[in-house]
Amino acid sequence: MKYKSQKVAYWFFAACMLLFSLQIVYGFIMAFAHMGFDGLHQIIPFNVARATHTNLLVMWMLLGFMGAAYFIIPEEADREIYWPRLAYVQLIAFVLVGVTAVIGFHFGWWEGRKFLEIPRPLDYLVVIDVLLFIANIGMTIWKGRRMTTTSMVLFFGLLMAALLYLPGMIDTNNQTTDSYLRWWVVHLWVEGVWELIMGGILAFLLVKLTGVDREIVEKWLYVIVGLTFLSGILGTGHHYYYIGTPRYWLIIGGVFSAMEPLAFLAMAIYGITMWRKAGRHHPNQIALLWTVGTCVMSFVGAGFLGFAHTLPQVNLYTHGTLVTAMHGHLAFWGAYAMLILAIISYSLPLMTGRKRYKGPTASLAFWASNIGMLAMTVAFGIAGVAQVTLERRMGLDFLDVQKEIQVHFLGLVIAASLFTVGAGAFIYDFIRYGMPNAEPTGSPLEDGDGDQDESSDAELAPEVAE
Amino acid sequence: MLSKSAAKAFFLIGTGISFLAFVGLTYDTFRQIPARTHADQITPEVARGKEIWDHKNCMGCHTIFGEGAYYAPELTKVMERRGEVFVRGMLRDPAAMYPGQRQMVQYDFTDAEIDDLVAFLTWIGHVDTNGFPADPPLRQHLAPAASADGRPLVFQQTCIACHSVGGAGGNVGPALDGVGTRRDADYLTRWLHDPSAVKPEARMPQLGLSDAQVTELVTYLGTLRTEH
Ligand code: HEC
Ligand code: HEC
Ligand code: HEM
Ligand code: HEM
Ligand SMILES: [Fe+2]
Repeated sequence: MKYKSQKVAYWFFAACMLLFSLQIVYGFIMAFAHMGFDGLHQIIPFNVARATHTNLLVMWMLLGFMGAAYFIIPEEADREIYWPRLAYVQLIAFVLVGVTAVIGFHFGWWEGRKFLEIPRPLDYLVVIDVLLFIANIGMTIWKGRRMTTTSMVLFFGLLMAALLYLPGMIDTNNQTTDSYLRWWVVHLWVEGVWELIMGGILAFLLVKLTGVDREIVEKWLYVIVGLTFLSGILGTGHHYYYIGTPRYWLIIGGVFSAMEPLAFLAMAIYGITMWRKAGRHHPNQIALLWTVGTCVMSFVGAGFLGFAHTLPQVNLYTHGTLVTAMHGHLAFWGAYAMLILAIISYSLPLMTGRKRYKGPTASLAFWASNIGMLAMTVAFGIAGVAQVTLERRMGLDFLDVQKEIQVHFLGLVIAASLFTVGAGAFIYDFIRYGMPNAEPTGSPLEDGDGDQDESSDAELAPEVAE
Repeated sequence: MLSKSAAKAFFLIGTGISFLAFVGLTYDTFRQIPARTHADQITPEVARGKEIWDHKNCMGCHTIFGEGAYYAPELTKVMERRGEVFVRGMLRDPAAMYPGQRQMVQYDFTDAEIDDLVAFLTWIGHVDTNGFPADPPLRQHLAPAASADGRPLVFQQTCIACHSVGGAGGNVGPALDGVGTRRDADYLTRWLHDPSAVKPEARMPQLGLSDAQVTELVTYLGTLRTEH
């Protein structure tokens, strides 16, 4: 950590850990309800649990991105955050709005639009808050000493994420229009601008952790985000097959969304190549593991499993079944959750001056959560395929089919328990790292940048390979 | 090899073209949506129904147009599948329609609210969704369903959810095979108007059937006789 103000990232990440743990609790509530144990139905009916689970997810992703930006941008721009106090205010405001929203869900204060359940007045607060954040990092870049591709990609990703939130707030009484615009937020986020954010954070991590030349990393960054938008924008059409929109979306959505996995494949190849090219052995191997892990798992969850149901012929039967839940979990986990855990793993030792990345809990966190999540994906997948076959293809009644597949939710709960062990280990480590240092830990703990002299690394990394 | 500026150009041009194409298609889609969704049929009831739908977050358990949650049945074609009588019953008292099953929220809607939701779901059912939800392609391989000859629509939609005939249908209520032998027309008429008036602790909900529907049903039930 070079700059004092970077440590605000710590508090963003701490909020992430809190919301992440709550999210898991609500996941279990739903998994049990699917198994027939809906004892909480009177207090927390399924729709409340679901809105809470997914909104907490989205909130901690956004907090993670903001934290990452506050950590990365000063370093890239070579200066302190422009308004360091504003960063704290903006964090507290965001958490307050988020907590209010989640509590409100329990009292029926919400909008019934999947993923965008946050009620309208709070929507405005979210937008204002995020715009303040954008202004803050924007000023930091503007007044900074350098303007790197990494920081620009990250900045524009965040800016467009904020702007795309707006169409989701347009009121309409036509369900088709409503759904059309909802996807501008949901799809164009996760399969568009969030990938830009991901690309930016990944480029930063790869430059830092592998020491590969910045020019090479950033060149491929352009290729990846180019592929993302080329396929992802028109790929929105894969949500416009069956909602009352014209038939041509079956072709356009089918063709372009089928190309979306290319961006994720490129990301996986890029991560692995940079890793193998690594000119030196960075001491924080666990951060590198999460970084390469996110490249690979995003391909599996988003690219491969997304492709599995994106063609209209397939989607006609899988649309709105547990197959979607299978893909949603691994995609969010692989692409965005792991990415945030990667930047946390990388930045915590630098912010706190402690090096817990050597310990066994760090490895446990990685392997248990990933194996657990893969097993959850399998459980959702089997339940989903059985549902599609029995209900959608053979025409059995919905509830009869649900009884047939109940047992797979036992599988889900077991897998989710393993996942929770991993997540718990990560959070335990996070807490054990302790508070961030008051002062910047300066160059001895700072690791080299591809375009800088790397002698400073030697102190932290006796095992430097070069 | 590819240079960084070429990569940047690829990104900018690709994004620009995709963006323009998307804007154009969106324009055309918005032009077509009114006709495809029969927007002229969005009456004040339908609009209010959508408001209730949003306000109660029904999408947090159900899917509509295949979007939502995977805990409860897909509702795009629910009016066609279950019919108005059943859906109204469901909105009045879900536990009576599916006793002992996975629970829906008991909403205590007023009759006006139920009218609005029914209007909304009816409108949804007429939107042109390019064939979603599809007819199950493998259904023909299953054992042929009992012949549905002469069944009134309301029987096929509503009663079959709880009763079976010829082994096909629900098992909440008793099988109705032979009911025409067991019960006379007068009993059936009174029963269908209000089961609890016939039998105070009756577990069949009052379905709010019209006189015409009851007459039609009683005639049909009379044909369900046990063979000797
Ligand atoms: C807590 C979850 C939940 C919520 C919220 C919910 N439902 Fe349901 N709904 C169910 C379940 C589960 C069923 C399946 C029948 C059963 O087990 O009760 C169902 C069944 C139905 C049915 C009958 C479908 C069929 O095929 O038989 C209709 C109609 C319906 N719901 C409408 C609504 C409407 C309208 C709302 C919002 C006002 C709503 N539901 C909210 C869980 C829910
Ligand atoms: C929500 C489930 C449900 C629906 C829908 C339903 N029934 Fe019933 N029905 C029952 C139950 C439960 C009983 C047994 C009542 C009892 O004995 O308490 C019953 C009993 C009956 C009986 C009496 C049978 C006998 O042998 O005495 C008749 C007749 C009948 N239903 C006809 C119908 C018809 C016609 C319809 C459609 C309009 C219908 N039911 C819809 C649940 C339902
Ligand atoms: C560890 C325990 C977890 C359990 C038991 C769990 C379980 C569930 C269940 C049962 C649903 C609802 C499916 C339905 O509508 O019926 C759901 C939805 C969802 N969960 Fe989880 N979840 C867990 C963790 C996570 C994590 C870590 C993520 C993200 C990384 C996540 C992301 C999602 C998403 C995106 C949805 C919405 C899916 C869709 O609409 O298709 N969940 N989860
Ligand atoms: C990181 C990237 C991705 C994430 C986080 C993600 C997440 C999700 C989520 C949460 C849903 C459920 C949305 C809803 O119903 O509201 C969904 C749906 C879908 N996703 Fe993705 N996804 C990603 C990438 C992809 C890719 C690359 C493809 C295609 C190749 C794809 C194909 C689909 C399809 C077809 C659906 C609709 C499923 C249905 O019809 O029910 N996704 N995705
Ligand atoms: Fe998508």
